[in-house]
Amino acid sequence: MRADALTTPRAANGRAPDVFEPGGWVPMREHREQDEVDFAIVGTGAGGGTLACKLAEAGFSVVAFDAGAYWRPLEDFASDERHQAKLYWTDDRIVDGPDPLKLGSNNSGKSVGGSTVHFAMVSLRFRPEWFKSRTKLGYGVDWPIDWREMWRYYAEVEEALKIAGPVRYPWGPKRPRYPYRAHPLNAAAEHLARGAEALGTDWAETPIATLSAPHGKAHPCVYRGMCVIGCSTNAKQSVLVTWLPRALAAGAEIRDLAMVGRIEMGPNGRATGVHYHREGEWRFQRAKNVVVAGYAIETPRLLLNSACSRFPDGLANRSGLVGRNLMVQLNQAVWGQVDEEIRSYKGPPSLAINEHWNYADAGKDYHGGWAYMSQGPLPISWARSLSGGRGLWGRALIDEMARSNHSVGLKMVGEVLPYAHNRVTLADETDQYGLPIPRVTFAIGDNERRMVAHALDFMEASLEATGARERWRETDDTCHLNGTARMGFDPETSVVDADCRSWDVPNLWICDGSVFPTVGGANPSLTIQALACRTADRIKELSRRGAL
Amino acid sequence: MLQADAATAPARLIAGGATILGASVLADSSIEHYRGSFHHPAMAVPIVAAVAAIRVNAAGGRDRSSVPNEPLRDPAQRPERRPRTPAHAAIAAAGAAGLGFHGWDIARRVGHLRWSTLFYAAPIGAPAALILSGALGAAADALATRDPRLGPLPVGGRFVGALAVIGLVGTSAEAALLHFRGAFHSPWMWLPVTLPPLAALALARDTLSGVPKDTSWALLGATALLGFVGAGFHARGVARNMGGWRNWRQNLLVGPPIPAPPAFTGLALAGLGALLLMRRGHG
Ligand SMILES: Cc1cc2nc3c(=O)[nH]c(=O)nc-3n(C[C@H](O)[C@H](O)[C@H](O)COP(=O)(O)OP(=O)(O)OC[C@H]3O[C@@H](n4cnc5c(N)ncnc54)[C@H](O)[C@@H]3O)c2cc1C
Ligand code: SF4
Repeated sequence: MRADALTTPRAANGRAPDVFEPGGWVPMREHREQDEVDFAIVGTGAGGGTLACKLAEAGFSVVAFDAGAYWRPLEDFASDERHQAKLYWTDDRIVDGPDPLKLGSNNSGKSVGGSTVHFAMVSLRFRPEWFKSRTKLGYGVDWPIDWREMWRYYAEVEEALKIAGPVRYPWGPKRPRYPYRAHPLNAAAEHLARGAEALGTDWAETPIATLSAPHGKAHPCVYRGMCVIGCSTNAKQSVLVTWLPRALAAGAEIRDLAMVGRIEMGPNGRATGVHYHREGEWRFQRAKNVVVAGYAIETPRLLLNSACSRFPDGLANRSGLVGRNLMVQLNQAVWGQVDEEIRSYKGPPSLAINEHWNYADAGKDYHGGWAYMSQGPLPISWARSLSGGRGLWGRALIDEMARSNHSVGLKMVGEVLPYAHNRVTLADETDQYGLPIPRVTFAIGDNERRMVAHALDFMEASLEATGARERWRETDDTCHLNGTARMGFDPETSVVDADCRSWDVPNLWICDGSVFPTVGGANPSLTIQALACRTADRIKELSRRGAL
Repeated sequence: MLQADAATAPARLIAGGATILGASVLADSSIEHYRGSFHHPAMAVPIVAAVAAIRVNAAGGRDRSSVPNEPLRDPAQRPERRPRTPAHAAIAAAGAAGLGFHGWDIARRVGHLRWSTLFYAAPIGAPAALILSGALGAAADALATRDPRLGPLPVGGRFVGALAVIGLVGTSAEAALLHFRGAFHSPWMWLPVTLPPLAALALARDTLSGVPKDTSWALLGATALLGFVGAGFHARGVARNMGGWRNWRQNLLVGPPIPAPPAFTGLALAGLGALLLMRRGHG
C-alpha cells in the first residue's frame, strides 16, 4: 500500500485518485478558499458523499471534506485485518455510562467514503410503520417523512448501487425487483435458511451492496469475505466507488485529510464557512451553506464545538437535543458447532437474512424490531469474540480457533429506543488537532434487554434445528450509531426539519444517521443514502423557489 | 426414398450441428465439472459422452463402411440399417442421466425450487444438449440410409426441424435464466433471448407447413453466427472479472461460459439442414 495516503492529501492539484485504476487519477475541479462555494460538506460517507454527488449533479458548487485518506482499493487494501485498521476512526474518545460502547472497527470509519468503505453492505429498507412508530406502533417518535416518499428514494439508491437481492422480498410492501440478482448462499447462510424454515418463518438472500455482475469498471464479487476490512476488488458498492466518482465528474471537489474543527457563524446568524485542518495548518473555506455529515458522534461534536456568543450551547441546539438520543443497534449473537465445514469467511458475511421479527408484532413483550443474519467473522475478530465474548483464553482459545471452520452463528440487528440520557458531549481533553474530544455516554434499557432475550432464544432455536451443538451466546456487542441530531416537526423537539435543515441556522444542514428519530431493526446505510437523495431534491426545490 | 445428393448436404449440416453441440458440451461440462472438483464420479460421464459425440458425428451424414469419407451418391448402395445408432443412443442416454442428476441437485438445495437455486445449482437444461446431439446425429446417419427412420418416426426435414426447435427453445430458456441472473447488465445480453426464439418460431412454422420461408433461412443463419459472437462476448465477460485474462485460471470458472453460446450455432445448423431437406421435398 501507499502509506502516503495517510500523510499527504491525494485530492489536490486539480486531480483526485481514480479508484478503479492502480495509480490512476481523474480530473477534479478546485475552488479557492476565498470563493463562497454553494455547499461545504463535512464528511464524505453514506450521508455526505451521496449528497455531494447529488448536489454537484444539480449544478451546485460543492467542496466535501473528510478527515480520512483517499484510498484506491485495488492497490491500497490488503487481506489483513491489522493492516486495514487504517480505515477505522480510532481517534481518542471517552466512553462511559452503565453500558459503555465499544467504539472502533465495528461502528465508525475515517476514510473518503466514510464507514461504507468497511461496512458489511447489508442494504435494507425500513419497515414503513417505523416512520410513524409513535402513532402506529406506540413507541419512539414519528419521523416527519412519509414512508411512500422514502420508498421512491430507496429505489433510487438501490439502482445506483446495483444492490444484489432476491427476486421477491418476502417482507413488507411491494418493492421493485432488486437491480442485480442475489449472490449464492454460503454454508453459514444455508444454516440460517434451514433454521428459519424449521421455525416456520420466511428467510431471504440478503440484499447486499456488492455486485453479482459487472457494473461499469467495477468487478463482480469474488467471495473472499474481506468485506469489513475493505473490499479490494471494487465489487463492494461503497460511497468511495459509487457516488464519489459521479460527484467528481459533476464538478465536486473533495478534500481528503481535512479535519473540520469548527463552523464559523456570521453576525446575521448564518454560517459563513468551515475551519479545517489540512497539511499541518488551520484553513478556512467560505461557503453559502454548510452540511454536517460526520456520523452520530462527530456530527454533534462539531456542532457543540462550534458554540459562539450567539449560540453558546452549540449550533442548532435550541432544543438542547444536539448529542442526545444516541442510538446504537443491538448486535448479540448465538454460535454453535456443526459437523460439516462452514468456512463462513467465504463470501460476504451476511448472505441470508430473517426479518420476520421486524414485521411481526404479536408475541413480543417489548417495543421495536430486530432482524438476524448469517455471519462470517475474520480470524482476529473471531478470536476477539471467543476471548472477550466467551471468556476463552490460552489453550482453550487456541483449541477453539482450530475448530473455526465448523463454527456457525447468527447475529441480530436490533432496535434501540431513543433515550435522552444516551448522549454525546464534549470532554475536557483535546485530540491531535487541539479539539475537545467527545464523551459518549450510554445505557440500554429494559425494553432492549427483553428484546435481546427473545432474539437470543429464537436464534438459538434456529441453530439447534440445524444440528448445531455446544451453543453459546455472545451478549456484549453493538453496532451502527444513529441519532444525536434528530429530525422532527418543530424546533422544540428536534434539531432539523424534514429537509435536514437546522431549525436555528437556516443555511446549516445535517445529512447522516444523526437525524434518525428512531433506528428500527434494520441496518441504516440505505436509509441514510435515501435521505441524502431526498435532501438534495429538497435543496434543489428550495433553491428554485429562492428559499435557500 | 431419398434422392441421391438430396440428403447428403443436409445430413452434413445436421451432423455438423450435432458435432458442435457435442463440442460445446465437452468444453462447458469440463470447465463446470472441474469447478465442481468432480466430486461425484458420474461427473466424468458427460465428458466421455461428448468426446464420443464429436467422434461419431464428425463423420456423420456419410457412410464410412463402403466409401470412406464420401457420401454415397447412389441410393441403391445405401445400407439397410444405420451402423451407429447404439452410439447415438448411449450419448443421448448420458444426457438424460445428466438431467436426472441436475434435477436431483436442485431438489436437495435449501429452499428447493427458488430463483437462486435455479441460478446456482447445476444447470437444469445443459445435459439436454447431449440428448439433442445424440438425436441429431442419429437423424443425420439415418438420412444416409435407404429408408430414413428413427424407430417408428420417418426422418426428414420436419423431424429434424422439430428437434432443432426444441433445442433452440430450451437453449434460449437457459440463456434467459442465466442472463437474468446477470441482470442483463449489458444490452447485448438481450440478443440470445430474442433472436433464437424468433428463429425457433420461424422454423416451427416451416416444420408445421413443410414449406421453408426466406425469413427462416435468415433467422437461422443469424442464430448460427450469434453462437460465435456470443462466445466473443463471454470472453469479454471473463475479462471483466477481477484480474481479467491474467487471472484466467480463476476467471474462466467464474465468468460467463465461453463454450455455451456455440450451442446456438449447432442447433441453427441442424435447423438449416432441416430447411434444406424441406426445400428438396423431404419433409
Ligand atoms: C464494520 C461496519 C459494518 C457495517 N455494516 C453495515 C451494513 O451491513 N449495513 C448498513 O446499512 N450499515 C452498516 N454499517 C453502518 C454504516 O456504515 C453507517 O451507518 C454509515 O456509513 C453512516 O453514514 P454517515 O454518513 O453517517 O457516516 P460515515 O459513513 O461514517 O461518514 C462519516 C465521514 O465523516 C468524516 N468526518 C467525521 N467528522 C469529520 C470532521 N470533523 N471533519 C472531516 N471529516 C469528518 C469521517 O472521516 C467519515 O469518513 C456498518 C458500519 C461498520 C463500521
Ligand atoms: S467478498 Fe466480495 S464484497 Fe467482500 S471483499 Fe470480497 S469481493 Fe469484496
